Amino acid sequence: MTDLRVRIGSLVLANPVLTASGTFGYGSEFADFFDLNRLGGIVTKTVTLEPRPGNAPQRIWETPAGMLNSIGLPNVGVEQFKVEKWPFLSTLKTAVIVNVAGRSSQEYAAAVEALESVEGIAAYELNYSCPNVKEGGLAFSSDARVAAEVTSRVRAVTRRPLIAKLTPNVTSISEIGRACADAGADALSAINTLVGMAVDIRTRRPRLSTITGGLSGPAIRPVALARVYELVRNVSIPVIGIGGIATAEDALEFLIAGAAAVQIGTAGFVHPDAAVRVVEDLEAFCRREGIAGMAQLCGSLRL
Amino acid sequence: MSKSVLQLPVIETAEAARQTVRLTLHAPEWAHTAHAGHFINLLVPGRRDLLWRRPFSVHRADRSRGTIDLLVGKAGRGSESIAASRPGEQLDAIGLLGNNFPLDAGLREIIMVAGGIGIAPFDLLLQDAKGLSCRKSLFYGARSACDLCNSALWAEKGAALHITTQDGSAGSRGLVLDELRRYLESDRDYTGRVIYGCGPTPMLAALREMAMGLGIKGYVSVENRMACGFGACVGCAVELAAVRPDGQKYLLACKDGPVFPIEEILIHD
Repeated sequence: MTDLRVRIGSLVLANPVLTASGTFGYGSEFADFFDLNRLGGIVTKTVTLEPRPGNAPQRIWETPAGMLNSIGLPNVGVEQFKVEKWPFLSTLKTAVIVNVAGRSSQEYAAAVEALESVEGIAAYELNYSCPNVKEGGLAFSSDARVAAEVTSRVRAVTRRPLIAKLTPNVTSISEIGRACADAGADALSAINTLVGMAVDIRTRRPRLSTITGGLSGPAIRPVALARVYELVRNVSIPVIGIGGIATAEDALEFLIAGAAAVQIGTAGFVHPDAAVRVVEDLEAFCRREGIAGMAQLCGSLRL
Repeated sequence: MSKSVLQLPVIETAEAARQTVRLTLHAPEWAHTAHAGHFINLLVPGRRDLLWRRPFSVHRADRSRGTIDLLVGKAGRGSESIAASRPGEQLDAIGLLGNNFPLDAGLREIIMVAGGIGIAPFDLLLQDAKGLSCRKSLFYGARSACDLCNSALWAEKGAALHITTQDGSAGSRGLVLDELRRYLESDRDYTGRVIYGCGPTPMLAALREMAMGLGIKGYVSVENRMACGFGACVGCAVELAAVRPDGQKYLLACKDGPVFPIEEILIHD
Protein backbone atom coordinates (compact mmCIF):
# COMPACT_ATOMS: atom_id res chain seq x y z
CA MET A 1 0.00 0.00 0.00
CA THR A 2 1.40 3.35 -1.01
CA ASP A 3 1.56 6.05 1.59
CA LEU A 4 0.08 9.02 -0.25
CA ARG A 5 0.54 11.47 2.61
CA VAL A 6 2.24 14.78 1.90
CA ARG A 7 3.34 17.63 4.12
CA ILE A 8 2.65 21.29 3.31
CA GLY A 9 4.48 23.19 6.02
CA SER A 10 2.95 21.96 9.27
CA LEU A 11 -0.09 20.62 7.44
CA VAL A 12 -0.25 16.89 6.72
CA LEU A 13 -2.63 15.82 3.95
CA ALA A 14 -3.87 12.24 3.47
CA ASN A 15 -2.99 12.52 -0.21
CA PRO A 16 -1.69 15.25 -2.54
CA VAL A 17 -5.02 15.93 -4.28
CA LEU A 18 -6.99 19.04 -3.35
CA THR A 19 -9.84 20.82 -5.07
CA ALA A 20 -9.17 24.33 -6.37
CA SER A 21 -10.83 27.42 -4.97
CA GLY A 22 -13.75 28.76 -6.97
CA THR A 23 -14.43 25.42 -8.62
CA PHE A 24 -15.69 23.38 -5.70
CA GLY A 25 -18.09 25.75 -3.97
CA TYR A 26 -18.12 24.98 -0.28
CA GLY A 27 -18.01 21.22 -0.78
CA SER A 28 -21.72 20.46 -0.43
CA GLU A 29 -22.26 20.97 -4.18
CA PHE A 30 -20.26 17.77 -4.76
CA ALA A 31 -21.45 15.67 -1.82
CA ASP A 32 -24.00 13.78 -3.99
CA PHE A 33 -21.26 12.58 -6.32
CA PHE A 34 -18.57 11.09 -4.06
CA ASP A 35 -17.23 10.83 -0.52
CA LEU A 36 -15.40 14.11 0.01
CA ASN A 37 -13.27 12.53 2.74
CA ARG A 38 -11.30 10.65 0.12
CA LEU A 39 -9.69 13.91 -0.97
CA GLY A 40 -6.42 15.26 0.38
CA GLY A 41 -8.28 18.47 1.01
CA ILE A 42 -10.80 21.03 -0.13
CA VAL A 43 -10.02 24.66 -0.85
CA THR A 44 -13.20 26.67 -0.48
CA LYS A 45 -14.53 29.32 -2.80
CA THR A 46 -13.08 32.71 -1.86
CA VAL A 47 -14.45 34.36 1.26
CA THR A 48 -14.19 38.13 1.73
CA LEU A 49 -14.78 40.33 4.77
CA GLU A 50 -18.01 41.75 3.32
CA PRO A 51 -20.51 39.93 1.07
CA ARG A 52 -20.02 40.37 -2.69
CA PRO A 53 -22.74 39.88 -5.34
CA GLY A 54 -20.28 38.95 -8.11
CA ASN A 55 -20.06 40.19 -11.69
CA ALA A 56 -22.91 40.76 -14.13
CA PRO A 57 -23.60 38.05 -16.71
CA GLN A 58 -22.09 36.94 -19.10
CA ARG A 59 -19.65 35.35 -16.67
CA ILE A 60 -18.29 32.36 -18.57
CA TRP A 61 -17.36 31.34 -22.09
CA GLU A 62 -16.16 28.03 -23.50
CA THR A 63 -12.85 28.09 -25.42
CA PRO A 64 -10.84 25.29 -27.06
CA ALA A 65 -10.09 22.76 -24.29
CA GLY A 66 -10.75 25.47 -21.75
CA MET A 67 -13.02 28.21 -20.51
CA LEU A 68 -12.97 31.87 -19.63
CA ASN A 69 -14.55 33.06 -16.42
CA SER A 70 -15.25 36.35 -14.79
CA ILE A 71 -17.29 35.42 -11.76
CA GLY A 72 -16.10 38.25 -9.51
CA LEU A 73 -15.81 36.40 -6.19
CA PRO A 74 -19.50 36.34 -5.20
CA ASN A 75 -19.72 35.15 -1.61
CA VAL A 76 -21.80 35.68 1.50
CA GLY A 77 -19.01 37.34 3.48
CA VAL A 78 -17.00 35.92 6.33
CA GLU A 79 -19.67 36.14 9.06
CA GLN A 80 -22.34 34.39 6.97
CA PHE A 81 -19.72 31.88 5.82
CA LYS A 82 -19.40 30.78 9.43
CA VAL A 83 -23.16 30.39 9.77
CA GLU A 84 -24.12 29.02 6.33
CA LYS A 85 -21.10 27.21 4.92
CA TRP A 86 -18.93 26.08 7.81
CA PRO A 87 -21.42 23.70 9.50
CA PHE A 88 -21.24 21.33 6.50
CA LEU A 89 -17.47 21.73 6.04
CA SER A 90 -16.91 21.07 9.75
CA THR A 91 -18.41 17.58 9.39
CA LEU A 92 -15.65 16.55 6.96
CA LYS A 93 -12.55 14.64 7.98
CA THR A 94 -10.58 15.93 5.00
CA ALA A 95 -8.47 19.09 5.37
CA VAL A 96 -10.49 22.24 4.72
CA ILE A 97 -8.48 25.20 3.52
CA VAL A 98 -10.35 28.49 3.42
CA ASN A 99 -9.49 30.79 0.54
CA VAL A 100 -9.53 34.47 1.49
CA ALA A 101 -9.35 37.70 -0.54
CA GLY A 102 -9.61 41.40 0.21
CA ARG A 103 -9.35 44.83 -1.37
CA SER A 104 -6.52 45.87 0.94
CA SER A 105 -4.01 44.19 3.22
CA GLN A 106 -6.18 45.26 6.18
CA GLU A 107 -9.17 43.48 4.66
CA TYR A 108 -7.22 40.26 4.15
CA ALA A 109 -6.04 40.37 7.76
CA ALA A 110 -9.50 41.24 9.09
CA ALA A 111 -11.12 38.35 7.21
CA VAL A 112 -8.52 35.88 8.50
CA GLU A 113 -8.85 37.29 12.01
CA ALA A 114 -12.61 36.73 11.83
CA LEU A 115 -11.99 33.11 10.88
CA GLU A 116 -9.54 32.43 13.70
CA SER A 117 -12.34 31.54 16.11
CA VAL A 118 -13.57 28.81 13.73
CA GLU A 119 -12.22 25.51 14.91
CA GLY A 120 -11.02 23.04 12.34
CA ILE A 121 -9.74 25.25 9.52
CA ALA A 122 -6.61 23.46 8.28
CA ALA A 123 -5.03 26.44 6.52
CA TYR A 124 -5.72 29.66 4.66
CA GLU A 125 -5.07 30.17 1.00
CA LEU A 126 -4.64 33.85 0.19
CA ASN A 127 -6.11 34.69 -3.20
CA TYR A 128 -3.64 37.24 -4.51
CA SER A 129 -4.54 36.69 -8.04
CA CYS A 130 -8.15 36.91 -9.07
CA PRO A 131 -8.02 38.72 -12.41
CA ASN A 132 -11.72 39.57 -12.30
CA VAL A 133 -12.06 42.01 -9.46
CA LYS A 134 -12.13 45.69 -10.38
CA GLU A 135 -10.53 46.83 -7.15
CA GLY A 136 -7.37 45.13 -8.33
CA GLY A 137 -7.22 41.60 -6.94
CA LEU A 138 -4.43 41.05 -9.39
CA ALA A 139 -2.42 43.91 -7.92
CA PHE A 140 -1.70 41.87 -4.81
CA SER A 141 0.35 39.35 -6.63
CA SER A 142 1.75 41.35 -9.49
CA ASP A 143 3.82 43.51 -7.18
CA ALA A 144 6.27 41.70 -4.89
CA ARG A 145 6.23 44.47 -2.32
CA VAL A 146 2.42 44.46 -2.03
CA ALA A 147 2.26 40.65 -1.90
CA ALA A 148 4.83 40.68 0.91
CA GLU A 149 2.90 43.32 2.81
CA VAL A 150 -0.36 41.39 2.69
CA THR A 151 1.37 38.16 3.64
CA SER A 152 3.07 39.67 6.67
CA ARG A 153 -0.14 41.39 7.80
CA VAL A 154 -2.00 38.10 7.70
CA ARG A 155 0.98 36.26 9.23
CA ALA A 156 0.68 38.58 12.24
CA VAL A 157 -2.89 37.46 13.01
CA THR A 158 -2.66 33.69 12.59
CA ARG A 159 -0.45 30.72 13.31
CA ARG A 160 -2.32 28.51 10.85
CA PRO A 161 -0.51 27.54 7.65
CA LEU A 162 -0.65 30.23 4.95
CA ILE A 163 -0.67 29.41 1.26
CA ALA A 164 -0.20 32.29 -1.20
CA LYS A 165 -2.01 31.69 -4.51
CA LEU A 166 -0.10 33.33 -7.33
CA THR A 167 -1.03 34.67 -10.73
CA PRO A 168 0.87 33.72 -13.88
CA ASN A 169 0.12 37.15 -15.35
CA VAL A 170 3.46 38.62 -14.26
CA THR A 171 6.98 38.90 -15.62
CA SER A 172 8.58 36.91 -12.81
CA ILE A 173 6.43 34.60 -10.71
CA SER A 174 9.51 33.55 -8.71
CA GLU A 175 10.14 37.08 -7.49
CA ILE A 176 6.59 37.28 -6.11
CA GLY A 177 6.83 33.76 -4.69
CA ARG A 178 10.08 34.57 -2.88
CA ALA A 179 8.58 37.77 -1.47
CA CYS A 180 5.62 35.81 -0.05
CA ALA A 181 7.94 33.15 1.40
CA ASP A 182 10.13 35.80 3.04
CA ALA A 183 7.02 37.46 4.51
CA GLY A 184 5.93 34.25 6.20
CA ALA A 185 3.93 32.17 3.70
CA ASP A 186 4.25 28.43 4.38
CA ALA A 187 3.50 27.38 0.81
CA LEU A 188 2.61 28.73 -2.62
CA SER A 189 -0.12 27.61 -4.99
CA ALA A 190 0.14 28.31 -8.69
CA ILE A 191 -1.21 29.10 -11.11
CA ASN A 192 -4.42 31.06 -11.03
CA THR A 193 -6.07 31.70 -14.42
CA LEU A 194 -4.40 33.37 -17.38
CA VAL A 195 -5.99 36.60 -18.58
CA GLY A 196 -7.94 35.89 -21.75
CA MET A 197 -10.65 37.31 -23.99
CA ALA A 198 -13.23 36.28 -26.57
CA VAL A 199 -15.34 38.38 -28.96
CA ASP A 200 -18.73 37.76 -30.57
CA ILE A 201 -17.92 38.58 -34.20
CA ARG A 202 -21.58 39.12 -35.07
CA THR A 203 -22.38 41.73 -32.42
CA ARG A 204 -18.70 42.77 -32.06
CA ARG A 205 -19.13 42.68 -28.30
CA PRO A 206 -16.85 40.93 -25.83
CA ARG A 207 -18.22 37.56 -24.71
CA LEU A 208 -17.71 38.45 -21.05
CA SER A 209 -19.31 41.41 -19.29
CA THR A 210 -15.91 42.41 -17.91
CA ILE A 211 -14.30 42.17 -21.40
CA THR A 212 -11.44 39.97 -20.20
CA GLY A 213 -11.55 37.01 -17.84
CA GLY A 214 -9.46 34.13 -16.58
CA LEU A 215 -8.62 31.15 -18.78
CA SER A 216 -8.60 27.72 -17.15
CA GLY A 217 -8.83 24.07 -18.18
CA PRO A 218 -6.57 21.66 -20.09
CA ALA A 219 -5.52 24.48 -22.45
CA ILE A 220 -3.37 26.09 -19.74
CA ARG A 221 -1.76 22.94 -18.29
CA PRO A 222 1.67 23.18 -19.99
CA VAL A 223 1.93 26.86 -19.05
CA ALA A 224 1.04 26.02 -15.45
CA LEU A 225 3.59 23.21 -15.32
CA ALA A 226 6.38 25.49 -16.55
CA ARG A 227 5.48 28.11 -13.92
CA VAL A 228 5.37 25.53 -11.13
CA TYR A 229 8.73 24.13 -12.20
CA GLU A 230 10.16 27.65 -12.21
CA LEU A 231 8.84 28.30 -8.69
CA VAL A 232 10.12 24.99 -7.35
CA ARG A 233 13.63 25.88 -8.51
CA ASN A 234 13.54 29.35 -7.03
CA VAL A 235 11.73 29.15 -3.69
CA SER A 236 12.34 27.00 -0.66
CA ILE A 237 8.72 26.49 0.47
CA PRO A 238 6.35 23.82 -0.94
CA VAL A 239 4.49 24.60 -4.16
CA ILE A 240 0.98 23.31 -4.89
CA GLY A 241 0.43 22.87 -8.63
CA ILE A 242 -2.77 24.10 -10.28
CA GLY A 243 -3.78 24.51 -13.90
CA GLY A 244 -5.76 22.21 -16.16
CA ILE A 245 -5.12 19.06 -14.15
CA ALA A 246 -7.85 16.53 -14.97
CA THR A 247 -6.28 13.08 -14.57
CA ALA A 248 -3.69 11.26 -12.45
CA GLU A 249 -1.28 11.45 -15.40
CA ASP A 250 -1.62 15.25 -15.36
CA ALA A 251 -1.13 15.33 -11.59
CA LEU A 252 1.97 13.14 -11.86
CA GLU A 253 3.60 15.60 -14.27
CA PHE A 254 3.28 18.32 -11.63
CA LEU A 255 4.46 16.09 -8.77
CA ILE A 256 7.50 14.91 -10.75
CA ALA A 257 8.29 18.52 -11.65
CA GLY A 258 8.42 19.26 -7.93
CA ALA A 259 4.92 20.17 -6.76
CA ALA A 260 4.19 18.95 -3.22
CA ALA A 261 0.48 18.60 -4.04
CA VAL A 262 -1.99 19.52 -6.76
CA GLN A 263 -5.41 21.11 -7.06
CA ILE A 264 -8.15 19.98 -9.44
CA GLY A 265 -10.41 22.77 -10.69
CA THR A 266 -12.20 23.09 -14.01
CA ALA A 267 -12.17 19.29 -14.57
CA GLY A 268 -14.64 18.94 -11.69
CA PHE A 269 -17.25 21.01 -13.56
CA VAL A 270 -17.36 18.37 -16.29
CA HIS A 271 -16.65 15.25 -14.25
CA PRO A 272 -17.78 16.02 -10.69
CA ASP A 273 -15.74 13.10 -9.34
CA ALA A 274 -12.56 14.11 -11.22
CA ALA A 275 -10.55 14.81 -8.08
CA VAL A 276 -11.32 11.50 -6.40
CA ARG A 277 -10.55 9.67 -9.65
CA VAL A 278 -7.13 11.35 -9.60
CA VAL A 279 -6.61 10.00 -6.05
CA GLU A 280 -7.58 6.46 -7.08
CA ASP A 281 -5.54 6.44 -10.28
CA LEU A 282 -2.54 7.98 -8.54
CA GLU A 283 -2.67 5.22 -5.96
CA ALA A 284 -2.94 2.57 -8.70
CA PHE A 285 0.01 4.10 -10.55
CA CYS A 286 2.16 4.04 -7.43
CA ARG A 287 1.22 0.44 -6.74
CA ARG A 288 2.09 -0.59 -10.29
CA GLU A 289 5.36 1.31 -10.24
CA GLY A 290 6.34 0.14 -6.76
CA ILE A 291 6.35 3.64 -5.31
CA ALA A 292 6.08 3.52 -1.51
CA GLY A 293 5.67 7.21 -0.75
CA MET A 294 5.24 10.59 -2.34
CA ALA A 295 8.83 11.61 -1.58
CA GLN A 296 9.93 9.14 -4.26
CA LEU A 297 7.85 11.07 -6.79
CA CYS A 298 7.95 14.73 -5.82
CA GLY A 299 10.74 16.55 -7.61
CA SER A 300 12.05 13.38 -9.23
CA LEU A 301 12.35 15.04 -12.65
CA ARG A 302 15.33 13.67 -14.58
CA LEU A 303 17.27 16.21 -16.60
CA MET B 1 -33.35 14.89 -5.14
CA SER B 2 -29.91 13.38 -5.27
CA LYS B 3 -27.73 14.07 -8.32
CA SER B 4 -25.66 11.44 -10.06
CA VAL B 5 -23.57 10.73 -13.14
CA LEU B 6 -25.04 7.95 -15.28
CA GLN B 7 -24.19 6.27 -18.57
CA LEU B 8 -27.46 6.30 -20.49
CA PRO B 9 -27.95 3.86 -23.37
CA VAL B 10 -29.49 5.46 -26.46
CA ILE B 11 -32.64 3.46 -27.29
CA GLU B 12 -33.98 5.36 -30.25
CA THR B 13 -33.35 8.45 -32.30
CA ALA B 14 -35.84 10.18 -34.59
CA GLU B 15 -36.04 13.33 -36.64
CA ALA B 16 -38.42 15.53 -34.60
CA ALA B 17 -38.23 18.58 -36.87
CA ARG B 18 -35.75 20.29 -39.19
CA GLN B 19 -32.33 20.27 -37.48
CA THR B 20 -33.89 18.68 -34.40
CA VAL B 21 -33.44 15.12 -33.16
CA ARG B 22 -35.46 13.36 -30.49
CA LEU B 23 -33.26 11.05 -28.41
CA THR B 24 -34.83 8.32 -26.30
CA LEU B 25 -32.53 7.28 -23.47
CA HIS B 26 -32.80 4.43 -20.99
CA ALA B 27 -32.94 6.13 -17.57
CA PRO B 28 -35.50 4.37 -15.33
CA GLU B 29 -34.64 6.31 -12.19
CA TRP B 30 -34.94 9.70 -13.86
CA ALA B 31 -38.03 8.66 -15.83
CA HIS B 32 -39.77 8.33 -12.47
CA THR B 33 -38.55 11.52 -10.84
CA ALA B 34 -38.42 13.98 -13.76
CA HIS B 35 -40.87 16.86 -13.96
CA ALA B 36 -41.19 19.63 -16.52
CA GLY B 37 -38.21 21.97 -16.24
CA HIS B 38 -35.69 19.41 -14.99
CA PHE B 39 -32.66 19.00 -17.21
CA ILE B 40 -29.69 16.73 -17.68
CA ASN B 41 -26.18 17.72 -18.67
CA LEU B 42 -24.61 15.59 -21.42
CA LEU B 43 -20.95 15.10 -22.20
CA VAL B 44 -20.26 15.72 -25.90
CA PRO B 45 -19.15 12.35 -27.27
CA GLY B 46 -15.88 12.27 -29.19
CA ARG B 47 -15.10 15.99 -28.78
CA ARG B 48 -12.53 16.46 -26.06
CA ASP B 49 -11.84 19.97 -27.33
CA LEU B 50 -15.39 20.92 -26.27
CA LEU B 51 -14.95 21.16 -22.54
CA TRP B 52 -18.43 21.70 -21.18
CA ARG B 53 -21.39 19.38 -21.06
CA ARG B 54 -24.53 20.54 -22.87
CA PRO B 55 -27.81 20.95 -20.93
CA PHE B 56 -31.10 19.50 -22.25
CA SER B 57 -34.60 19.72 -20.78
CA VAL B 58 -36.35 16.46 -20.18
CA HIS B 59 -38.94 16.41 -22.97
CA ARG B 60 -40.84 13.26 -22.05
CA ALA B 61 -40.62 10.64 -19.35
CA ASP B 62 -42.06 7.20 -20.02
CA ARG B 63 -42.35 5.69 -16.58
CA SER B 64 -43.43 2.24 -17.75
CA ARG B 65 -40.62 1.93 -20.32
CA GLY B 66 -38.07 3.62 -18.06
CA THR B 67 -37.01 6.09 -20.73
CA ILE B 68 -36.65 9.81 -21.07
CA ASP B 69 -36.73 11.78 -24.32
CA LEU B 70 -34.71 14.87 -25.14
CA LEU B 71 -35.09 17.30 -28.04
CA VAL B 72 -31.67 18.12 -29.39
CA GLY B 73 -31.57 21.13 -31.69
CA LYS B 74 -28.44 21.15 -33.83
CA ALA B 75 -27.33 24.59 -32.73
CA GLY B 76 -23.57 24.09 -32.67
CA ARG B 77 -20.74 21.56 -32.68
CA GLY B 78 -21.66 20.12 -29.29
CA SER B 79 -25.35 19.57 -29.94
CA GLU B 80 -24.54 18.24 -33.42
CA SER B 81 -22.29 15.53 -31.97
CA ILE B 82 -24.94 14.63 -29.40
CA ALA B 83 -27.69 14.57 -32.06
CA ALA B 84 -25.56 12.15 -34.11
CA SER B 85 -25.71 9.50 -31.34
CA ARG B 86 -26.93 6.09 -32.53
CA PRO B 87 -29.00 3.45 -30.71
CA GLY B 88 -26.69 1.19 -28.71
CA GLU B 89 -24.29 4.01 -27.85
CA GLN B 90 -24.18 5.53 -24.39
CA LEU B 91 -24.26 9.14 -23.29
CA ASP B 92 -22.57 10.34 -20.10
CA ALA B 93 -25.15 12.39 -18.19
CA ILE B 94 -25.43 14.34 -14.93
CA GLY B 95 -28.95 14.59 -13.58
CA LEU B 96 -31.49 15.34 -12.60
CA LEU B 97 -30.69 19.02 -12.41
CA GLY B 98 -32.65 22.17 -11.72
CA ASN B 99 -36.18 22.83 -10.49
CA ASN B 100 -39.49 22.40 -12.26
CA PHE B 101 -42.61 24.33 -13.30
CA PRO B 102 -44.93 24.51 -10.28
CA LEU B 103 -48.58 23.67 -10.75
CA ASP B 104 -50.26 26.06 -8.35
CA ALA B 105 -53.37 25.13 -6.41
CA GLY B 106 -56.55 26.55 -7.90
CA LEU B 107 -55.27 26.55 -11.50
CA ARG B 108 -57.98 27.39 -14.04
CA GLU B 109 -55.75 27.45 -17.10
CA ILE B 110 -52.21 26.41 -17.97
CA ILE B 111 -51.04 28.70 -20.75
CA MET B 112 -47.90 27.25 -22.31
CA VAL B 113 -45.86 29.55 -24.54
CA ALA B 114 -43.14 27.90 -26.59
CA GLY B 115 -40.71 29.32 -29.13
CA GLY B 116 -38.82 26.84 -31.32
CA ILE B 117 -36.92 24.23 -29.31
CA GLY B 118 -38.50 25.82 -26.21
CA ILE B 119 -41.32 23.34 -26.75
CA ALA B 120 -39.16 20.72 -25.00
CA PRO B 121 -40.49 20.83 -21.40
CA PHE B 122 -44.18 21.11 -22.29
CA ASP B 123 -44.80 17.48 -23.16
CA LEU B 124 -43.75 16.65 -19.63
CA LEU B 125 -45.76 19.57 -18.21
CA LEU B 126 -48.90 18.14 -19.83
CA GLN B 127 -48.02 14.80 -18.24
CA ASP B 128 -47.48 16.49 -14.84
CA ALA B 129 -50.88 18.19 -15.23
CA LYS B 130 -52.70 15.10 -16.43
CA GLY B 131 -54.86 14.79 -13.32
CA LEU B 132 -55.82 18.47 -13.33
CA SER B 133 -59.14 19.34 -14.87
CA CYS B 134 -58.07 22.89 -15.77
CA ARG B 135 -57.89 24.21 -19.32
CA LYS B 136 -54.57 23.67 -21.11
CA SER B 137 -53.56 25.94 -23.96
CA LEU B 138 -50.38 25.71 -25.97
CA PHE B 139 -49.07 28.69 -27.95
CA TYR B 140 -46.33 27.32 -30.13
CA GLY B 141 -44.34 29.43 -32.56
CA ALA B 142 -41.65 28.45 -35.02
CA ARG B 143 -40.09 29.81 -38.18
CA SER B 144 -41.81 27.36 -40.48
CA ALA B 145 -44.03 24.24 -40.50
CA CYS B 146 -40.99 21.97 -40.75
CA ASP B 147 -39.60 23.41 -37.50
CA LEU B 148 -42.59 22.27 -35.43
CA CYS B 149 -42.08 19.18 -33.24
CA ASN B 150 -44.87 16.60 -32.81
CA SER B 151 -47.51 19.09 -33.85
CA ALA B 152 -50.10 16.35 -34.31
CA LEU B 153 -49.68 15.02 -30.80
CA TRP B 154 -50.44 18.09 -28.73
CA ALA B 155 -54.20 17.99 -29.14
CA GLU B 156 -54.23 14.30 -28.16
CA LYS B 157 -52.56 15.25 -24.91
CA GLY B 158 -55.39 17.60 -24.12
CA ALA B 159 -53.97 20.96 -25.14
CA ALA B 160 -55.87 23.57 -27.14
CA LEU B 161 -53.28 24.32 -29.80
CA HIS B 162 -52.41 27.79 -31.17
CA ILE B 163 -49.70 27.45 -33.79
CA THR B 164 -47.92 30.36 -35.39
CA THR B 165 -45.18 30.32 -38.00
CA GLN B 166 -43.23 33.28 -39.28
CA ASP B 167 -43.81 32.26 -42.91
CA GLY B 168 -47.43 31.19 -42.44
CA SER B 169 -46.74 27.60 -43.57
CA ALA B 170 -48.64 26.27 -40.55
CA GLY B 171 -51.13 27.87 -38.17
CA SER B 172 -51.40 31.63 -38.33
CA ARG B 173 -48.67 33.77 -39.79
CA GLY B 174 -46.72 35.89 -37.32
CA LEU B 175 -45.18 35.71 -33.90
CA VAL B 176 -46.39 33.51 -31.09
CA LEU B 177 -46.66 36.47 -28.71
CA ASP B 178 -49.01 38.35 -31.04
CA GLU B 179 -51.34 35.36 -30.99
CA LEU B 180 -51.00 35.13 -27.21
CA ARG B 181 -51.79 38.81 -26.71
CA ARG B 182 -55.00 38.55 -28.77
CA TYR B 183 -56.02 35.55 -26.70
CA LEU B 184 -55.24 37.14 -23.35
CA GLU B 185 -56.97 40.39 -24.26
CA SER B 186 -60.12 38.55 -25.30
CA ASP B 187 -60.72 37.44 -21.69
CA ARG B 188 -59.20 39.69 -19.07
CA ASP B 189 -60.10 37.60 -16.04
CA TYR B 190 -56.70 36.21 -15.16
CA THR B 191 -57.56 34.56 -11.87
CA GLY B 192 -56.14 31.06 -11.77
CA ARG B 193 -54.56 31.40 -15.20
CA VAL B 194 -50.79 30.96 -15.34
CA ILE B 195 -48.30 31.40 -18.17
CA TYR B 196 -45.49 28.86 -18.58
CA GLY B 197 -42.86 30.13 -21.03
CA CYS B 198 -39.82 28.60 -22.66
CA GLY B 199 -37.97 29.76 -25.75
CA PRO B 200 -35.39 32.19 -27.09
CA THR B 201 -34.32 34.99 -24.75
CA PRO B 202 -35.86 37.85 -26.80
CA MET B 203 -39.20 35.99 -26.74
CA LEU B 204 -38.98 35.50 -22.96
CA ALA B 205 -38.09 39.16 -22.46
CA ALA B 206 -41.17 40.23 -24.44
CA LEU B 207 -43.31 37.63 -22.68
CA ARG B 208 -42.26 38.98 -19.30
CA GLU B 209 -43.21 42.50 -20.34
CA MET B 210 -46.58 41.35 -21.63
CA ALA B 211 -47.42 39.24 -18.58
CA MET B 212 -46.45 41.96 -16.15
CA GLY B 213 -48.31 44.58 -18.19
CA LEU B 214 -51.50 42.53 -18.21
CA GLY B 215 -51.08 41.42 -14.61
CA ILE B 216 -51.11 37.70 -15.33
CA LYS B 217 -49.01 35.31 -13.33
CA GLY B 218 -46.24 33.37 -15.05
CA TYR B 219 -43.12 31.25 -14.92
CA VAL B 220 -40.29 31.04 -17.44
CA SER B 221 -37.58 28.48 -18.00
CA VAL B 222 -34.38 30.28 -18.99
CA GLU B 223 -31.49 29.14 -21.12
CA ASN B 224 -27.98 29.89 -20.03
CA ARG B 225 -24.45 28.71 -20.60
CA MET B 226 -23.21 26.55 -17.74
CA ALA B 227 -19.83 25.00 -17.08
CA CYS B 228 -21.22 22.52 -14.50
CA GLY B 229 -25.00 22.56 -14.10
CA PHE B 230 -24.98 21.90 -10.36
CA GLY B 231 -24.06 25.20 -8.73
CA ALA B 232 -20.28 24.96 -8.59
CA CYS B 233 -19.06 27.21 -11.40
CA VAL B 234 -21.45 30.06 -10.55
CA GLY B 235 -21.29 31.04 -14.21
CA CYS B 236 -24.99 30.93 -15.13
CA ALA B 237 -26.00 34.03 -13.17
CA VAL B 238 -29.49 35.42 -13.70
CA GLU B 239 -30.16 38.96 -12.50
CA LEU B 240 -32.81 39.49 -9.84
CA ALA B 241 -35.40 42.16 -10.61
CA ALA B 242 -34.82 43.60 -7.13
CA VAL B 243 -31.63 43.38 -5.08
CA ARG B 244 -32.34 41.44 -1.89
CA PRO B 245 -31.89 43.00 1.55
CA ASP B 246 -28.67 41.01 2.07
CA GLY B 247 -27.22 42.43 -1.14
CA GLN B 248 -27.84 39.38 -3.32
CA LYS B 249 -28.16 40.47 -6.97
CA TYR B 250 -28.07 37.19 -8.87
CA LEU B 251 -29.53 33.70 -8.86
CA LEU B 252 -28.16 30.66 -10.68
CA ALA B 253 -30.04 29.23 -13.67
CA CYS B 254 -28.84 25.70 -12.87
CA LYS B 255 -29.64 25.54 -9.18
CA ASP B 256 -32.25 28.22 -8.41
CA GLY B 257 -33.84 27.66 -11.85
CA PRO B 258 -34.09 27.05 -14.72
CA VAL B 259 -37.70 27.93 -13.85
CA PHE B 260 -38.29 31.34 -12.25
CA PRO B 261 -41.41 33.36 -11.45
CA ILE B 262 -41.57 35.76 -14.38
CA GLU B 263 -41.44 38.90 -12.24
CA GLU B 264 -38.53 37.73 -10.09
CA ILE B 265 -35.76 38.01 -12.66
CA LEU B 266 -34.65 40.38 -15.38
CA ILE B 267 -34.41 38.94 -18.86
CA HIS B 268 -31.92 40.82 -20.96
CA ASP B 269 -32.64 40.59 -24.64
